Amino acid sequence: MRAWGFVAAAYGIVWGVILLYLYSLKRRYNQAAAKLNELRSDGGQR
Amino acid sequence: MAKQLQPAHNRKGILGALALVAVAVGLYWSLVVAPPDAYQGEVQRIMYLHLPSILIAYLSYFLVFIGSGLYLWKREKRDDILAHAAAEIGVLFTALTIIEGSIWGRPTWGVWWTWDARLTLTAILLLIYVGYLMLRSLIEDENRAATAAAVLGIIGFLDIPLIHMSVYWWRTLHQPPSILRPDKLPWENVHPSMLTALTISFVGFLLLYFYLLSLRYRIGEMRQEIQALRLKRGA
Repeated sequence: MRAWGFVAAAYGIVWGVILLYLYSLKRRYNQAAAKLNELRSDGGQR
Repeated sequence: MAKQLQPAHNRKGILGALALVAVAVGLYWSLVVAPPDAYQGEVQRIMYLHLPSILIAYLSYFLVFIGSGLYLWKREKRDDILAHAAAEIGVLFTALTIIEGSIWGRPTWGVWWTWDARLTLTAILLLIYVGYLMLRSLIEDENRAATAAAVLGIIGFLDIPLIHMSVYWWRTLHQPPSILRPDKLPWENVHPSMLTALTISFVGFLLLYFYLLSLRYRIGEMRQEIQALRLKRGA
């Protein structure tokens, strides 16, 4: 592999993994927010 | 309620946008503007990822250390949530540092991995905090899990000074610091455009880190609120 190949591999892996982690965080964030809203609105109805 | 959440949501949005801009400028400077290294050539550009990644990992473990200490002292849940969030992101950046280092090591040292003191201690650091996350998920009682994790979070932090000093204490393949040297100022040892690329890249990573941490911390807070509401309903 040439020098730029190693650079591309490093940058590609790092930013790919960070974007995947960001996506998983957003998903967990939205799930938790939806659950919390659901519980709060249930409480309001009681 | 929606109005209360709005300012925090806006702050996160601004932080995310700033991180995006800084990362984009950092990438441009690292890959286009900065010159190739006189000895290593283009492959040295991996440094603009490698150094910010490990510094962010250290910062994260420092927050685990602080959060864990405060939790053991005051028993406030928010400190445990901070330590947990920081540990998760610290593991991510430590793993990335090892991967980048491996990719950089192959063309410069001729090997993907070697049991050099600094590399081995960094791998141990990763294992300690993977253990921290596993410990939290294996102990069912939440308070016991938080206490055990806090103790491990504090002990694990002691590995960081060892990693930093390893290049002075042992004969290692890993080079000693080029920038944070005790005998020279950063700009005396590194080309100004390389130092600029590194600084912008670090600022980008730092802003991104605080954006990720704010999201992960809020997830922890919301999970805590969900649990409290469920308990209240059950009671």
